[in-house]
Amino acid sequence: MVSCMERGGRIFSSFHRQARTEGDRSIRARLVIAVLLLMLPVAFLFSLSAGASDASLVALLRSIFAGEALAATDTIIIYDIRLPRVAMGALVGASLALSGAVMQGLFRNPLADPGVVGVSSGAALGAVTIIVLGDTFLAPFIEPLGSYALPLAAFAGALATTATLYRLATRKGRTSVATMLLAGIAIAAMAGAFTGLLIFIADDQQLRELTFWGLGSLAGATWVKLGAIGPTVAAALCAAPFLAKGLNALALGEAVAGHLGVSVQRFKHVAIIAVAAATGAVVAVSGGIGFVGIVAPHLLRLLIGPDHRYLLPASALLGAVLLLLADTAARTVVAPAELPIGIVTAAVGAPFFLWMLLRIRGIVDL
Amino acid sequence: MIEASGLSVAIGVKPIVSEVSLKARAGEVTVIIGPNGSGKTTLMRALSGEIPYAGSIRMNGNEIAGTKLGQLSAMRAVLPQATSLAFPFTVREIVRLGILDGRPGGAAQSERLPELALERVDLAGYAGRFYQELSGGEQQRVQLARVLCQVWQPVEEGVPRYLLLDEPVSSLDIRHQLVIMEIAQDFARNGGGVVAILHDLNLTAMFADHVIVMSGGRLAASGARAEVLKDDILARVFQCALKVNALPGGMVPFVLPQTACSGAP
Ligand SMILES: Nc1ncnc2c1ncn2[C@@H]1O[C@H](COP(=O)(O)OP(=O)(O)O)[C@@H](O)[C@H]1O
Ligand SMILES: [Mg+2]
Repeated sequence: MVSCMERGGRIFSSFHRQARTEGDRSIRARLVIAVLLLMLPVAFLFSLSAGASDASLVALLRSIFAGEALAATDTIIIYDIRLPRVAMGALVGASLALSGAVMQGLFRNPLADPGVVGVSSGAALGAVTIIVLGDTFLAPFIEPLGSYALPLAAFAGALATTATLYRLATRKGRTSVATMLLAGIAIAAMAGAFTGLLIFIADDQQLRELTFWGLGSLAGATWVKLGAIGPTVAAALCAAPFLAKGLNALALGEAVAGHLGVSVQRFKHVAIIAVAAATGAVVAVSGGIGFVGIVAPHLLRLLIGPDHRYLLPASALLGAVLLLLADTAARTVVAPAELPIGIVTAAVGAPFFLWMLLRIRGIVDL
Repeated sequence: MIEASGLSVAIGVKPIVSEVSLKARAGEVTVIIGPNGSGKTTLMRALSGEIPYAGSIRMNGNEIAGTKLGQLSAMRAVLPQATSLAFPFTVREIVRLGILDGRPGGAAQSERLPELALERVDLAGYAGRFYQELSGGEQQRVQLARVLCQVWQPVEEGVPRYLLLDEPVSSLDIRHQLVIMEIAQDFARNGGGVVAILHDLNLTAMFADHVIVMSGGRLAASGARAEVLKDDILARVFQCALKVNALPGGMVPFVLPQTACSGAP
C-alpha cells in the first residue's frame, strides 16, 4: 500500500510541477480523491469475492453485469454474509479515518487518534456495559432503544472521554501533547478497569461475545447492525465538509481561528460530538480496530497536504479502502479460519505509528 | 473608526487594562507604544474581539461584544504577536486561509490574491515553500500576507476596514521593517484604519499619525507624534533618560531608519 502511495506521489508531483500556481496542492488533492473514488469500488468487489468459500470475482461480476444467476449458496454467502460485512467494513474504515483526521485537526496534532488517546476505551466501556448488564436492572431503559442501545452507549462513552480529554489537555488554545497522551493513558486505564470489572461478572456466553468483539472484528456484521450505525456514520460523514474550514483555521491556533470568523467554542463542541458519534458507532459494531485513524490521514497529509477540505473526504475514502483490504487479509490469510481484523491493523499500523513518531519528533515538542 | 471608552480588561481577577479611552480613525496609522507588560497586547486583543471587556469598543459604530465573529472578520484582520502552526502547510496554503468565503471580487480574483499578497510583503516566489522551513522574519511576513488577504480592499462598500498588527516588525531586518510599515501606511492612505503595536520609536515617529502610550495598563499619553514623542513622557513611561532629536555624544555611530527614504533597494 505504502509503496503504491509513494509511486502515486511521484506521478502527482511531476504533474504538479507543470501546474500554474506553486504551493497550491488542490489539483493534486482532487486527483488523489478521484483515484480513491475509483479504488473504493474495486476494493469493495475484491473483498466481496474473497473468502473461505470460492464464490469467485468472475462469477460475481457476471451476475452483476451480465445477469447470470449465481449458485444458491453463493447468493447467500455473498448477499447475506459478505455484503453486510463488506459494507460495514467500508463504513467503519471511513469513520475511523475521518474521526482520526478530525481529532488530529482539533488537537492540532498528528498523533491524536480515538484509539491512541483512550476515546475508543471509553466507547468500549459503554458498549460492554450494555452487553453485560443489558439483561439486568438496565433492561427497562435499554429495551425501547433496540439495536440502537449499543451504539448509543458507546457514543456516550466516547463523548465523555473526548470532552474530558480536551478539558485536560488544552489550555488557552494550545494542546500539550504530553498531557494529551498521558491523560489518554489514564482515561484508557480507568475505562479498562471498569470494563474489566464488567467482564469479571459476565457469564460464559457474554464472555465469548466480548472476547471476539474486543479484538476487533467485522465478523458479526448484519444488516440490522449496519442499520443501527449507518445513520450516525452518515451524519458524521456529512458534517465533515462543514468542519473542514474550521479545522483549517484552527491549524493557526484558536485565537487566529477566532480572528478568521470561526466561533471556536461552538466549533469545538460540534467537532467533539462528531468524533464521539463516529467512534462510538464504530466501536459498538467492530470493537477495537486501531491505527486506521492515524495511518490514513498521515499518508494523505504527505501526499496532498493538510488542507482539511480535501484531507477529510480523502481520509474517509482511504480509510474505507484500507479497512476493506485488511478485512480481506483477515479472512484469507489463515482460511478457512479467520483473524480478528484488529490484529491485522495493529500488526501493520503499530510499526507505522512508530515510524511516524521518528519522523515528526523533531517537529512536535513532546 | 475604532472607538474605545472606559475600556477595562481583567484576566482572571487581575486587572490588566484599566479605563482606556482611545480613537483609531480610518485613514490613519495609530501606533501603540509602551514598555513590556504595559497591556498593549491585551488592549489589542480586546479591540479585535478576542477577549471579553468592560466598557465600550465600537468599530464603525458597532459594539464589538455584540457583533458576530463572522461579521468582525469581514471588518478587520489581526496579526498576532506570534502564531504557531500545527501541520505542514505551504506558504500559499497559509496565505489562502486569509481569504474568507463570500467576499466580493469572485473566485478568479481570490485565486490570484495569495500571489499578490506575497509579492506585497516581498515574498514573491515563496508560495511553494513549507511554512515551517522559513526563517522567523519570513514567517512573520507570510502571516502578514494572510492578514492582508482578509482585508485586501481597505474600504469595502464605503465602509473602512482595519488592520490590527501586534509587533508586525519585531523580527524583521531594517529594510523589511520599512516595507511592512509602508504597506500599513498605504492601507491607511487608501481609507482603511491601522492600529499597530511597535517598539521602535523611530518607526513610530516616521509612520504614526496618532500615537497611544500605554503604561501599567493605563493610557499614559495620546496624540499626534510630535505631542507624544517628548523627553518627559518617554523618560517617565520607559524609565530611561531618552532625548528626542538629540545627537549622541562621542564618536559612536548611529543609524536612523529615516535616512532611507524608501524600503526598495
Ligand atoms: N492570559 C494572561 N494571564 C495572566 N496574565 C496575563 C495574561 N496575558 C497578559 N497578562 C499580563 O498582563 C500584563 C500585560 O500583558 P501584555 O498585554 O501582553 O503586555 P505587552 O503586550 O504590553 O507587553 C503582563 O503583566 C502580563 O503578565
Ligand atoms: Mg505584547
